[in-house]
Parts: sequence; structure tokens; C-alpha cells
Amino acid sequence: MMCRTDQSVPEPGEEQDVDATDAVFTALLEDSAEELYEQAPCGYLSTLMDGTIAKINATLLEWLGLERSQVVGRMRFTDLLTVGGKLYHETHFAPLLQMKGEVSGIALDIKTADKQRMPVLVTSKVKTSEEGEPMLIRTTVFDARDRRAYEMELLRGRQAAEEARRQSEADRARLQEALAVLQQSLLPAELPVVPGLEAGSYYHTASPDLLGGDFYDLFPLGGGQWAFFLGDVCGKGPQAAAVTSLARYTLRAAALHDPDPVSVLTTLNTVLHERYASGEGRYCTAIFGVLQPADGRVRLHLASGGHPSALIQRADGSADYLPTPGGLLVGVLPQAPFTAARTDLLPGDTLLLYTDGLTEARTGPERELYGDDALRAFTAAQPPAGPQSLITALSGLLASFGDGLDDDTALLALGVPSLPSIASEDLTT
Amino acid sequence: MSPLTITTRDADTGPVLEITGDLDHHTAPELRKAVDGVTVDVGQLLVLDLAGLDFCDSSGISALLAARNAAIESGGHIALAAVPANTARILGIVGLDQVFSLHPDAATATGRSSAAS
Repeated sequence: MMCRTDQSVPEPGEEQDVDATDAVFTALLEDSAEELYEQAPCGYLSTLMDGTIAKINATLLEWLGLERSQVVGRMRFTDLLTVGGKLYHETHFAPLLQMKGEVSGIALDIKTADKQRMPVLVTSKVKTSEEGEPMLIRTTVFDARDRRAYEMELLRGRQAAEEARRQSEADRARLQEALAVLQQSLLPAELPVVPGLEAGSYYHTASPDLLGGDFYDLFPLGGGQWAFFLGDVCGKGPQAAAVTSLARYTLRAAALHDPDPVSVLTTLNTVLHERYASGEGRYCTAIFGVLQPADGRVRLHLASGGHPSALIQRADGSADYLPTPGGLLVGVLPQAPFTAARTDLLPGDTLLLYTDGLTEARTGPERELYGDDALRAFTAAQPPAGPQSLITALSGLLASFGDGLDDDTALLALGVPSLPSIASEDLTT
Repeated sequence: MSPLTITTRDADTGPVLEITGDLDHHTAPELRKAVDGVTVDVGQLLVLDLAGLDFCDSSGISALLAARNAAIESGGHIALAAVPANTARILGIVGLDQVFSLHPDAATATGRSSAAS
């Protein structure tokens, strides 16, 4: 290593290298401020305080498609703008410039000689004399076409998103409509008129998005007999609805073949158990019954498969369950026990069938179970005024549960009309 | 609403699934998956320990029955342990207290079964 302290002579070739680099830089860089001004990548413009253009660079002239002689001393800055731009300049740009001495990054459109509009961003600053008098306005004009295109793209994106949202809301509405129609198809459009009997029903849908599995029906068996059923398929959604449909038509068909309630439920059990034997089982609870009007009363014979007991509101103002203990959820076992019960409905009596949405509802701040006892007490407290009246009272009760009722709930009430009091007077006189 | 968690362990009698949280329409498939994931050998007992079960709706009941079917298909049995009062009440209404053997807790379920076999 050399360590001569007096070395002042550069290494051979070093100085030459520096000279060469300088030459390249000089060639690359603007050799004059004038060149930089004219060919800058933005527009430059100086105007008098009244806007008359005093100086303009080549870049801006090229954008405008104008000759310098057409512009300098002949046009004002506002003459370069579109009508909208002129207006904006007058109402916002100029006042702001006057007040603050500068404005920055204002989006305006300039109009070009070939009638095109070109989006630009304009920044202006007032040059003042040493005494503070405004002398002229210096303005830079940036090409904002790419930026505007980007903004348009964002806007289009937003519009597309809005459109997608509208579409998805429309789809959702259509789906809910389809679900509602399907749900309706699982229930009788209206209950038939049964001689010597009154009937009322109600269906509460917990969620418009999920098909519920509650079902009921009332139909003639011939010979003056009528059959009814009410049930609840385990689970929700389209799979449950498919079971609901199967259960409903199986019960109707089985009843025409042999209306004995236990036989009908046994048929349904066999169908469900076989249909869903492989893979995931499907189950339902159901009460099926037969009504036989006779001698001013109606003989009732029903059976339950795992369904909450029917409740009877008597004409004397009492209310009691018709217990059917031990009946099994339908479809679980190949041979299942079902429990039958019989009673007579007298004039003024009403039979109530319900799904457990009603008794399993939660009430009060502690969200306590509504329960069997409360339902019986509620029913006993209602005047024995027939099925429609009881259904109306119960639908009011369901509504009062609010969000404590989170399951679909079906109600079916069947009653023997009270004897008209005039008729009974006629009999005694 | 509490999420469903299922923990699997093996007892001498067979697999025990500890089920905590809500067993409903949304979570029932998880129980089915958990049951698919255990092996119940011939003569073994699948115990569902429900001590931590907060809520069980009809979809949950269906899932319990699916577990029963799976256990029986593979030649085993099923037992429910520590069924919460509300679920026990519903099982009674739908008659499933006749179908499932119910035990006060998992220890009794696994103990009693091994004594019986």
C-alpha cells in the first residue's frame, strides 16, 4: 500500500473520467431555464390581474391546439375553460385567489381547439411587487386525464357495487316470495266449512328465510266424519319442508284408507322411517284425530306421536289437557308406540292443537319458559266463545312474546258451536 | 347463543363426546361430523355427555337421533349422560326417554355399561 502524504497528483485517468461524466449530464439536462419552461411536463401560464394571458408555455399550447399568437394578449385564462369551468372560476377560483393569493389543485376542464374537453388540475399564485401590489398571476396546469379516468373507474366500480346490491336485494325478495309460496303450499289455503263445527287456525312464521316445519289440515272422511291433524317436523329449511309435504299427504291418504288415529300415525311412521332409513333421519311430532258429530255433540278420537297434548276449552270456562303420554316422535323406530285418547266435545267446547313454539316461548326479563300451565290458565281465562275467538286471543298472546317466540307456531282450534240461547228458550217454552 | 364445542375422549366402554353450548339448526351438523369421526365397535357404548349443553332444539334432537343411528348401525349402543332439565323435559314430550338410556352423569354411563357387559 502506498502512503505518501504529499500526493497531490491524481492517479492517471481520474480527472478525465470526471470530465466525461459532466459532459453526459450536461447533454441530458435542460441547458436552459427557457427550455425547461417551454417543454415542462405541465402547462405554465402567466396572466395579468384581469386574466389576460401574458405568457404561456409550449406544453399548454400543444394541449390546447393553439398558436402562441392566438393566445398571448388576445385571450384571458377563462377563455381556455369550458362553460362549467368558467362558472366555477368566477364563483370559487377567482374569489379564493383574490382572498388568499393562491389556490391549489382545483379540478377544471379546459377546452381544446378541436372542441374536446381536457380535465386538468390548476394551481395559481399571485406575484406581488416589493410594495405588496399584485402584479400577475402564475398558473400551473397539470394533465388530469389519467386521474379523471381513475376517478371515473372508481365511480363505475361504485355504481357496479350499487347495482350488485340492488340485484342481491331483489334476489333475496324473490327467494322470500318463493319460500312464502312454498310455506303456504304446506298449509290449507283456508279451512273447509264443516257442518256443525267451527274451525280456526293461525300460523306464525319465525323467519322469512327459513321454511318452518309446522303443518295442519282439516278434511272430510265421508259418512259425516272429519279428520284433522297438526304436526311439527324436526329441523328447519327446505329439507324439513320436504318432510312436511310428505307427512301431510301421507296422513291424508292413510286416513282415507283407515281413519283409526293410531293406524294413521303408524302408517306415517312406517313411511318416514323407510323413506329416511339410510342416511340422515327425518322426524316429526303429530296429533291426528277424527271427529264424528252425533246427538248434538262431537265424538273426538285422536292419537299423538310425541306431540304436546291437545287442550280443551270447555263451555263452562274450564280448560284441560287431553293427555296422550308415551307417544313417540314419528319416524324414529320401525315400530313405534302411539297413544290414543277420546272425549266428547259439547256445544261451546273448543279443542286446541298447537305446536311447541307456543309453550316453549320465553317470557319476561328472565326469559322463563311459557309452559303448559300458563297456556291452560290463559285458555281458561278466555270466554268460551268458540275457535275463532280463542285463535284471536292466542295470536295476540304470541305477538306479546316478541322475540321470546323464536320458533314457527301453528294453531288449530275446532269447536262445537254453542246452542243459541233463543233456541234453548224455545225448547223450554 | 353460545358456540358448540365437542370434545372426544375414550372410556373403557367406548367413545364419550362432551357436548357444550347450543345444539341447534346451525350447529347440529357439527355433532354429526363429530359422530362420524369416532369409531363405535360392536358392543361398545357411545356416550353423549350433555352436562354443558345450553340449548337443544328440534334440529338438535334430530342430531342426537342421527348419533343413535350411527352407533346402532355399527353394532353399538348409545347413552345420554347429564341431560339438562329442559332437554330432558322435551325428550319426555316426544317420547325419546323411551329410546335413549339416560344417565345422571358420564361416569355412571360408562361405569354401568361396563358392569353390565
